[in-house]
Amino acid sequence: MRGKKSNSLSNRLLMILVGLFLYAPIFILIIFSFNAGTSSSVWKGFSLQWYEQLFNNRLIMNSVYTTLLVSFLATVIATIAGTFAAIGLHAMRRRSRDAILAVNNIPMMNADIVTGVSLSLLFVAFFNGWGTFATWVNSWQSLIVLPDRLTMGFGTLLIAHVCFNIPYIILSVGPKLRQMDRNLVDAAQDLGCTWIQAFWKVILPEIKPGIVSGALTAFTMSVDDFIISYFTAGTSSSTLAMTIYGMTKKRVTPEINAISTLLFVTVLVLLAIVNLREEKSDGTVKRSRKQYTPRQEKVRRVLVRVGAGTMACVLTAVLIISGYAVSKQPVVNVCSWGEYIDEELITEFEETTGIRVNYQTAESNEALYSLIKMGGADFDVIVPSDYMIARLIEEDMLAELNYDNIPNYAKIGEAYRSLSFDPENKYTVPYTWGSLGIIYNTSMVDEEITSWSAMFDPRYAGQVLMINNSRDALAAALLSLGYDINTTDETQLQEAFAVLKKAKDSGVYQAFVMDEVYLKMESGNAAIAMYYAGDYLTMLENNEDLAYVLPEEGSNWFVDAMCVLKSSRNKAEAEAWINFIASTESNLANMDYIWYASPNAEALEQYPDYYLENYEEELDQELYEIMVLPDEERERCTLYENLPRETLNLYNSLWNQLGV
Amino acid sequence: MTNKQLSRFAVPYVGWLAIFVVTPILIMVYYAFTDTYGDFSVDNFVQMGEYTSVFLRSFNLAIIATLICLLIGYPVAFYMSREGARFQKIGMVLIMLPMWMNFLLRTYSWMTILENNGLLNQLFSQIGLIDLYNQITGSNIEYFSMMNTQGAVVLGMVYNYLPFMILPIYSVIVKLDYSLLEAARDLGADSVTVFKKVILPLSLPGVLSGITMVFVPSVSTFAISRMLGGGTELLLGDLIERQFLGGAYNPQLGAAISFVMMVIVVVCMLVMNRFGEGEEQAVRL
Repeated sequence: MRGKKSNSLSNRLLMILVGLFLYAPIFILIIFSFNAGTSSSVWKGFSLQWYEQLFNNRLIMNSVYTTLLVSFLATVIATIAGTFAAIGLHAMRRRSRDAILAVNNIPMMNADIVTGVSLSLLFVAFFNGWGTFATWVNSWQSLIVLPDRLTMGFGTLLIAHVCFNIPYIILSVGPKLRQMDRNLVDAAQDLGCTWIQAFWKVILPEIKPGIVSGALTAFTMSVDDFIISYFTAGTSSSTLAMTIYGMTKKRVTPEINAISTLLFVTVLVLLAIVNLREEKSDGTVKRSRKQYTPRQEKVRRVLVRVGAGTMACVLTAVLIISGYAVSKQPVVNVCSWGEYIDEELITEFEETTGIRVNYQTAESNEALYSLIKMGGADFDVIVPSDYMIARLIEEDMLAELNYDNIPNYAKIGEAYRSLSFDPENKYTVPYTWGSLGIIYNTSMVDEEITSWSAMFDPRYAGQVLMINNSRDALAAALLSLGYDINTTDETQLQEAFAVLKKAKDSGVYQAFVMDEVYLKMESGNAAIAMYYAGDYLTMLENNEDLAYVLPEEGSNWFVDAMCVLKSSRNKAEAEAWINFIASTESNLANMDYIWYASPNAEALEQYPDYYLENYEEELDQELYEIMVLPDEERERCTLYENLPRETLNLYNSLWNQLGV
Repeated sequence: MTNKQLSRFAVPYVGWLAIFVVTPILIMVYYAFTDTYGDFSVDNFVQMGEYTSVFLRSFNLAIIATLICLLIGYPVAFYMSREGARFQKIGMVLIMLPMWMNFLLRTYSWMTILENNGLLNQLFSQIGLIDLYNQITGSNIEYFSMMNTQGAVVLGMVYNYLPFMILPIYSVIVKLDYSLLEAARDLGADSVTVFKKVILPLSLPGVLSGITMVFVPSVSTFAISRMLGGGTELLLGDLIERQFLGGAYNPQLGAAISFVMMVIVVVCMLVMNRFGEGEEQAVRL
């Protein structure tokens, strides 16, 4: 090695390449935030529309707000707590200090998912204990009524963030304390300082760089965190990362690119300013300081401190008050599926009733069940499918509805009432119905697909998207073998599993997807997928080559219905929402927007006219019959039924093994 | 205030650690050793035999990703430390900065790059690379399949965690005592020997913490494998997520898998650090 600055061109090239590697995806994101179209890979011209629409997108703005609030509060709390903990630890004897530091390092050593999972189990255990305690307290006195049901939310999210932030503070403050001359504090106290004064005048200035860098790291970690938040936030508060994760499963709207660009540029500018000022201050500070007399200097410092303090207080107050104001409004928490509502209906409902709608989506019936069971969910209204409704009723998780509050129930067609999952019509109001079928791209598949066996055909290796939930995937296999989709026969299920497994092992499946199917089919990245009829019609709008078939072996038809969870604390609001959605107008709007058939008899009858009026053209009868299956087609299809527990366990274990 | 009084400041934190760090792990262990009815059982661990291949695949991919990160990250950190102060400062900021764009979004951006109809394949077909490939190999492909492969997952891991490898290595190398290198050279060592005998051993703590910071999140990821791997081949993270919030609700099994993963990772790290300490001492002697 020669001199210190001896990087050759090739060394520099490596650094530039790594820089490109790190920044290429970011540049693409930024470029596509100015795209006129919605695609994130096809450029349609320059536009600022996503930046304008961003501020009207409540989901994104809420999650940005939650992210900033939780990161800010967690950093402040962790910084204060961590600094004092570090001072205390520093004063301890070495052996106990090392032991505590080892525990302190656990959250940093552990995988995020382990921290997230174990914290969520703690919260669930605590909530269960609290429930028992609250019921007991409420039972012998009526002075204070304790809420008997807690759920994960902002509080648990904050605790989790503080949890993983404190170690960073301790680790960066600790070394500064060790570097500090211990005699300084003693000297200050000998000169008449109280310990508090010594703390402010001696210790704090010494360890300040450690505190600042620890706090910065903590804040960055909080903003970037996804996994721990995902397991501890429950569903009522969602950070930006969680919102993005939800979106990556269906469509990432360019508004997300826009908000990320804004955040990114803000940080970039802030860092640039800080760095420039530091560089300048190296040269100029000494000169400028001279202009102040000591007295002025003191006043200046006080002013700066008061200013910064006030700003921090005001910011905190604004954040907390606005959060509180929002939480005081009547609210209904709705959990549905992706791309499953005309979002204008939400705004309309909020404007007419003054009830805020907290609208969330789950990925599949099974995922919804997990969410509720884990105690993280704070839902009032859910929209599960038939078989899951039966399971929820069986496990006593649904509340009986008061149909007096839902007069629009009268308009539900006879064919969608008294079905096997709710024979006495006590718990449900149907939302939509439809069928499961095969979607394929006619420009990529030469023949006409008619059978479920296409989903397992090695000729289409790498071209097929399998559905990512056990019930539907195994149903396709069962149907292709000619078995009943509600079978409880273990050999039949094992046989179906073998079909799936064989197809997977021979590389038939490009991916296992739920709502990712939209993008992949629309863009022609895959040729064949199984999905729901309504979603096919949405995809068709973006890709005319797609075709839909209800295979010859028959299929599943489903009813998704609105129900209220027993744990709901907003039953009146929930029923108001259900009634609103069950109205003919809402059903027409939804049918037009999501292309799923409505169970509302009036809406079904009026839809062709509604279409003519809105689009000034006749409704394509063939497409209409894909959405609203004629009776003879529907008779080829079967509803899913709830399965006994052993069969459900078998489904789970087969499903896990499929990924192995 | 005496030390004894001062050390009381740590008491609330010890309480906090007990509640929010130790208890959750104990609860996790409790879950791992019970069945759905809350009775003691080792069934979850017996069942786990079925998932050996998931364990192997996860550790395999994470090790590959860590090695690639090390191979790229070490030279970058090393060259960076030899640049001017201003360059170093800007370089460090540039390496940290991507973390302010959410990692899911950056990973999503890779999806648009790697898809069959993605930007990279569009580029390849524009410049005629795909035609060229077809001519040479006699095949007839319209695109290179890059998405939904293990390679894409490894790429996602390297992309996301590379800064975690560069930063610790850099911060150790930049503090190296330059006179040690001069002394070695004065004693007749050539630059390879200087690197092997002085720089590498002294930067080992940075390398070890870099390895930890890349390996642990890689082995437990679920978002990256889901987005870039297409969910066809599960990783440990996917399997765990699925038991808690996904399609196969079984928190007992999920807790057991998490527990086993935690134990394996901790043991790996302990062994590695022990080995690292030995090296450091050897150097000092």
